[in-house]
Amino acid sequence: MPSRRRRRAPEEFATPQEQPARISMTSLLLVGLLIGLGIGLYYAWVVEPVVFVDASPARLSDSYKEEYLFLVSQNYAITSNWEQAQERLAALDDPQLPETVNVLLERYLREQKPPQVVENLAALAQKLGAEGSAVALFAPTPLNGQAAPPTPTLTPTPLSAEIATPLPTNTPTRTPVPTLTPSATPVPSPTTQPVYRLLNQERVCDETAVSPQIEVITYDTLLNELPGVEVLVSWEDGTDTFFTGFKPALGAGYGDFTMQPDISYSVQLADGSPEVSGLRIEPCDGDTIGGWRLTFQNLRYTLPETSDQ
Amino acid sequence: MGRWPHIIGFLLVGIAVGLGLGLYLGWEAWPTEFTDATPEILQDRYRRDYALMIATNYAADGDLASAERRINGLGKDGVANGRAYYFSVTLDTILRNEDVTAITYMVRLATDLGLESPAFAPYLVGGGNAITP
Repeated sequence: MPSRRRRRAPEEFATPQEQPARISMTSLLLVGLLIGLGIGLYYAWVVEPVVFVDASPARLSDSYKEEYLFLVSQNYAITSNWEQAQERLAALDDPQLPETVNVLLERYLREQKPPQVVENLAALAQKLGAEGSAVALFAPTPLNGQAAPPTPTLTPTPLSAEIATPLPTNTPTRTPVPTLTPSATPVPSPTTQPVYRLLNQERVCDETAVSPQIEVITYDTLLNELPGVEVLVSWEDGTDTFFTGFKPALGAGYGDFTMQPDISYSVQLADGSPEVSGLRIEPCDGDTIGGWRLTFQNLRYTLPETSDQ
Repeated sequence: MGRWPHIIGFLLVGIAVGLGLGLYLGWEAWPTEFTDATPEILQDRYRRDYALMIATNYAADGDLASAERRINGLGKDGVANGRAYYFSVTLDTILRNEDVTAITYMVRLATDLGLESPAFAPYLVGGGNAITP
């Protein structure tokens, strides 16, 4: 009777030498996988990383992004093309763009960039809805969103030659035609240089005010409020004078003058500033009437530091 | 001895699979984030717009040194390529009959950088197409 060939069930593999062979094959695969993964990642990230050749402005380094913002603000000031500016800004893909521009603006102030550069950037910041003291001081349009009125006239005079960063003569304006013959160096004007410059001019509509006023706020070179500044107010039949700083609750550099109806006023600082004329009581929304707020900055004087600063 | 081919085989298979997976992850799924770009690697339309902004800014402030530095930054692999690129873009704006103001600004800067072309003549000051201040 022939012997029957018996097949052994898997669980009957009894010898210890046979079981470790199966386990080590899986381990070998795993080890190989890990080695291959490491080599692959090293090659892809270090040896031959992805090379970007069609980047958008969002990929620019921080310094180039700042330069890009500078160029957009300057271009917007020259061309007044907000749609084009928006397209350029959208390419930055920055969800915090107003804040980014505001931070850059404050840095430009500290670095004493030319005033026109600061103002152009402030205008861009305001257009983006950025809020901050630098924007409030340097942006050209009224903070309450009302359009600049046509009646007041502004007679700015060039800044002193003592200033380290003089204004260029071919100053960009809202109309899109700058000179085609730019000079390599700005030429200072030979006329008298004022001590103050006008930072901001805006209508003030305050329903709680008893009567409309001309408010004047004066700052030193570092934008600290400056008291004791003499303000000259004139109109057809008279003149008056007041000083800033007598209402400290409203600010150390604050002063005001009550306006009368149907009178056109001119305001100038006694130490020398642009004259702002044609200031009248203007109607505001609803039944209220409003006055004016003028902000001036001294270009030569800085308040000394005190112990509590 | 008989087991070695199996060992090497399994290892190589593991390495091959791992290599493929690593390359896929490194190039496709998790590529290196590049956030320090310079203007020279911008997409062409952004690069051209950058050139236009430089020229427009120069028309206002007249700062040739700054404009030249920015133009040099637009060129791949060096200063000469920046100027060559700017020259090419300026010609393109003329040939495409783009906005006259933009052309005038770009021609003005190109000329002041020492770049010349007969196509520039109508857009220089006194030329027939130049915008008047």
